[in-house]
Amino acid sequence: MRFLLLVILIALLSAAAEVFLPWWGIAVVSFIVSLFVSLRPGKAFLAGFLGIALFWLTAACIHDLTNDHILSAKMAALFHLPNYVIFILVTALIGGLVGGLSAWAGALIRPKVQT
Amino acid sequence: MAQNKGRSPIGGWVLLVGVAILVCLLDRSPFPGVPAIGRLLDPVHGCWANAEPVNKNFSADLKLPVANKATVWFDNRLVPHIHADNDQDLYFLEGYVHAYFRLWQMDMQTRAAGGRVSEVVGEKALPYDRRQRQKGMVYAAENSLKVMEAEPHTKAMLDAYTEGINRFIASLTFRDYPIEYKLMGFAPDKWTNLRTALLMKYMADDLTGKTDDIALTYLRDHLAKDEFDLLFPERVAGATPVIPAGTAYDKPSLHVPVAPADSVAFPHFDAAEFGEKREDGKGSNNWVVGGSRTASGAPILCNDPHLGLNLPSLWYEVQLQAPGLNVYGASLPGAPGVIIGFNDSLTWGLTNNYRDVKDFYLIKPVSDNKRSYWFAGKQLDYAKRIETIKVKGKPDIIDTIDYTIHGPVTYEAQNAKDGGLRKPLAMCWMGHRSSNELRAVYLLNRARNYSEYVDAILNFQCPAQNMAYADRAGNIALWGQGQFVNQWKDQGRFVMNGSDSATLWKELIPMRENPHVLNPAQGFVASANQVSTDSTYPYNYTDGGWVNLRAWRINKLLANVQKATISDMQVMQNDTYSELAAGMLPIMLTELTDTSSGKYIKLLREWDYHLNAESVAAAIFQIWWSNLYSDHWAAYHLGNVPDKQLPLQEVTMQIIGFNKYFPLLNEDGSRTSSIGEPIISSFKKAIDSIKKLEKTIGTDWYKVKNTSVTHLAKLPAFSYDHLKIGGWGNTINAAKGNHGPSWRMVVQMGKEIEAYGVYPGGQSGNPGSKYYADFLQQWVEGKYNKLQFLPNVNEQKDSAIKFVWHVSKG
Repeated sequence: MRFLLLVILIALLSAAAEVFLPWWGIAVVSFIVSLFVSLRPGKAFLAGFLGIALFWLTAACIHDLTNDHILSAKMAALFHLPNYVIFILVTALIGGLVGGLSAWAGALIRPKVQT
Repeated sequence: MAQNKGRSPIGGWVLLVGVAILVCLLDRSPFPGVPAIGRLLDPVHGCWANAEPVNKNFSADLKLPVANKATVWFDNRLVPHIHADNDQDLYFLEGYVHAYFRLWQMDMQTRAAGGRVSEVVGEKALPYDRRQRQKGMVYAAENSLKVMEAEPHTKAMLDAYTEGINRFIASLTFRDYPIEYKLMGFAPDKWTNLRTALLMKYMADDLTGKTDDIALTYLRDHLAKDEFDLLFPERVAGATPVIPAGTAYDKPSLHVPVAPADSVAFPHFDAAEFGEKREDGKGSNNWVVGGSRTASGAPILCNDPHLGLNLPSLWYEVQLQAPGLNVYGASLPGAPGVIIGFNDSLTWGLTNNYRDVKDFYLIKPVSDNKRSYWFAGKQLDYAKRIETIKVKGKPDIIDTIDYTIHGPVTYEAQNAKDGGLRKPLAMCWMGHRSSNELRAVYLLNRARNYSEYVDAILNFQCPAQNMAYADRAGNIALWGQGQFVNQWKDQGRFVMNGSDSATLWKELIPMRENPHVLNPAQGFVASANQVSTDSTYPYNYTDGGWVNLRAWRINKLLANVQKATISDMQVMQNDTYSELAAGMLPIMLTELTDTSSGKYIKLLREWDYHLNAESVAAAIFQIWWSNLYSDHWAAYHLGNVPDKQLPLQEVTMQIIGFNKYFPLLNEDGSRTSSIGEPIISSFKKAIDSIKKLEKTIGTDWYKVKNTSVTHLAKLPAFSYDHLKIGGWGNTINAAKGNHGPSWRMVVQMGKEIEAYGVYPGGQSGNPGSKYYADFLQQWVEGKYNKLQFLPNVNEQKDSAIKFVWHVSKG
């Protein structure tokens, strides 16, 4: 449950960050959140990955649905991907990786937690 | 207590640095041609922001630096109808709207014009940029800008237009950039009046770019005179000139000069390779049919300029309204006004005139220095022009171009190699001179009658255009309009001796003496890039790229037209009947003794000579003809000539078809005139190709020819290919590979103005918009949009209006 909340927290804070920051706001948010929330590194990676992937996936899907896949189909062709769904997933994956790695770094750097 | 296993702060810092590096890598292009993936995929600011909602509401209240309130109505095709109460606001808004929908294209095209592409794509564009600088493109634009800015109306129009574009650019953040900026990794550059001047010169270069003077100079020495005249006639036999034969011309006000001695005028070449290859089949059609030949009794004007087929499209539809102005038509994003269209009094259309206005001079350098050259017995210093080319990721490249009294000295890589010309040539081009075509556009948009029309177009110098005209009073007219030099016979047809003053361009022909016709007796007038006049026109001029096949077809059709309707004219614009096939194929079939390919021969015998999209016969004929044409000229002793500098197809047809004159060199050097053998061998080759095509892409003509509309960055994903459209360069519907009718327009100037148009693209330059290429299918099918010509009033009730911008001062 805590993990799930964390995923959602990262997603929401990143969305807020991107109002003010360029795309790398997702890295800043994932890093800082995992710096302050106690999680094992592996789980931190997963939380960062899922949080950002969730955010980017949702945002991309909203754009894509209102756009009738016009752009995503062209972008998929541009990158030699089989179809627009894959392009959406690639978007989520790239965002997720950046989020996950940032969260992992945060978890490793986090000061030792007292009981 | 939380486990500390696997947790090492040092590892964390290392990872953090790694993440930072990763973010940096994804934030910028790692290699040329690879986009910044992170920035690009970001669904908030990246490419996803360009995924325009299909039901986007474009309506808005805009605060802009306008003098008064203004309105832009967008119709259901996203055509803006801009209404302002003064010229300044009008052109400001046209600039703003152009940039809103077409910014990247405007930026790229003017970069291309001025040789600034390397600045954004890196050194792979360097040869292209250097060539543009060498041709004097920036020099030309600067010259024109001086006179444009010296004329108060043009300056005011340009300043307002530029301000509109820059105002839009200033409102952008990365998120709002056209997607191509995000893919290519650069940012919109500020607009300047110079960039508009560059765009005008880009068009001039595109339309007057032919450089066959060099090859002809070589061939003139290489071939016997009668042979040269046969292969490269000044006037193709049976040409139907733009201004109908028999039209009377006034006595010239200038004395037509006498040619200097041949030995003074022209040098001799033993090679012809210089670099630029000739491009065949660039051209356009326009015609006007007078009321005596239309069903409604009102004149109808038709125009389809053939240009490169690109996305975003070269053209952008717009209606402009201000006091004394109500004009609709195709505009060029990057330039103010309407270039081809109609207003509430008259309509006009353009085709390329192709009188030669680009000549070459052989320069004789002074042997012991690099500063000077010989002219009229004296040593003159070159004017040096420094061209600085910025290159992405590399130091600037600095080129020095030598300017002579004739123009810039141009060298090419090919020029220096074996078989190359290896001589410095200076280029003398009308486009280098100051001119103010925008003044013509400004006045033309506002012209109310024939005399105002003429006053307007007399400002149009280069590229010379055949300007067709029709008005609501029932007049039709056509002008071969441009600035021309009073030449001696053959001046500029060949490379000239650059060290003798007798070869200089001297007087200019007064433009009112340009070939023109008002209300011709035949009741119609048509141009399709054929020769301007019959031989009775008093001034000399030479060929800059004339062709005849479309003109023959159009003139034949119009000579028989009675009670023409708008829809007849639309059908005619989409006509695919080939005069070449009709002339050649019966002869080719007669000579053919091959009976093993019966089914193909049967298709050809039954064919109606229409290059329709699904015609297999059309594909067979075109491949067969193309083989016959190239085999014939390859075997012919033309010597060391660039491959594309061959006699015209129609000339070839006349020589080998009609005259049965097919001289080929035998091995012993004697000539044979048997046309049967090459016809059979080229047919066999064609059938081999067709059989291969049957197993691969198919033999429908449209599959074989592959008409494509290509994104300007050559991205296949943003382009459309294998469009199911008929025609070719030898038919009215000249849809070639990547070139064709770029804007089809039919306007009937009756009591009510009825106008139709279509271009292969859409109003939005955004590949993520549903308006990106929404006219393409109609264009392919020969269908048209009705052009919504709104009255010049403050409130509009037209049901076609979908969105509104209310613009107020802010």
